[in-house]
Amino acid sequence: MIVPAHHPAPELLLDYAAGSLREVQSLLVAAHLAYCPECRAQVAELEACGGVLLADLPPEPVSDSLFGTLMTRLDGAVATPPPVPAPAGKSLFPGPLRRAIGAEPEALEWVRVVPGVHLSAWGIGAGTASACLLRMAPRSRVPAHRHTDSEMLLVMKGGFSDEFGAYRVGDVASYDTGTPHHAVADADGECLCLLVQDQPLVFTGPLGWLLNRGFRF
Amino acid sequence: MLPKADSNDPTMPGHEQLLLAVARNRDSTAFRTLFDHFAPRIKAYMRRLGADSSAAEELVQDVMMVVWLRADRFDPALASASTWIYTIARNRRIDRVRQERRPELQPDDLMSDVGEEPAPDHQFEAAETAFRLRAVIGNLPPEQADVLRLAYYEDKVHAEISAERGIPLGTVKTRLRLALVRLRRAFEEGA
Repeated sequence: MIVPAHHPAPELLLDYAAGSLREVQSLLVAAHLAYCPECRAQVAELEACGGVLLADLPPEPVSDSLFGTLMTRLDGAVATPPPVPAPAGKSLFPGPLRRAIGAEPEALEWVRVVPGVHLSAWGIGAGTASACLLRMAPRSRVPAHRHTDSEMLLVMKGGFSDEFGAYRVGDVASYDTGTPHHAVADADGECLCLLVQDQPLVFTGPLGWLLNRGFRF
Repeated sequence: MLPKADSNDPTMPGHEQLLLAVARNRDSTAFRTLFDHFAPRIKAYMRRLGADSSAAEELVQDVMMVVWLRADRFDPALASASTWIYTIARNRRIDRVRQERRPELQPDDLMSDVGEEPAPDHQFEAAETAFRLRAVIGNLPPEQADVLRLAYYEDKVHAEISAERGIPLGTVKTRLRLALVRLRRAFEEGA
């Protein structure tokens, strides 16, 4: 197993550990952590930092009755069962994504963008951010598009390259607002990614008007 | 008799032992001591993040319930007591206040069979690291400490910190990265 070479930005890991990162971006970070021992260690450190900050907060007295109320509630509470174990056999999806989707890739519906490139009908959105899956056939190209906001891709199967680098399983590719890029899937197999965007994209190029009408991706 | 909890003494990881007592023996005296220490801090944390006093106490109950019910999942080799309770408080707030799911990594989510983190040298290493970390945070230059506290206490992602403080995004990122480099040293010293 090769460890990932491309990671989320350090401040994104901080936002995740601090709890300020929103759900959609947090999903991509949590899914990357499943592949990346280095980022797991960093998040653990940043959570330790949260622990120190919590311990050092000036305490605010709580109501005298609070402990009693809590103990009454606990009397009626039962221990939560341990988390449901992963299904037998290896899932293609990392755990946080598997729990968010609740299905494997073959059970999902896909929408064709251009020949060889599909987006999942599954998606989540919160605020201006959205996530869905991107599937590319070997050697296929994602149409050129420019970003009105940021975009991140997490590779879960296969790989792709663009003008900024080559991305393999577990890698995160990040693109800032206004960074055009031309992703080409590797030749040796299908590439499956989690795609997270803030704000819809605007396609450029000859088919752009059509894509922009039909697909907000 | 359990040792008195003192979070400033690295040789006496009292809160960790109290949590273990709750896990092993459902020790309600230990739980009361943990409550007395952490409830006012969890309340302060929730208040900082915008909850009013009664909503904050509601969240304190939520968090302490999870502490009681899941104490058996606390591992002092992986996290200090404050760190573990911090992550519960953070996640409960996201759940309840923001009404969002918190995508979390679970122990059996790891996609590789090898390359696992080496086990810490001894049981209370996380508590000792926290002791060094506290000193590092206390000595951060004010502008670095400020962006760090905003991230943890004001629910602001770094882009929002930039907009709110009128500091260019690049400067916020630089300050955070400098702070992160310093924090990292607290962990490397222990390695």
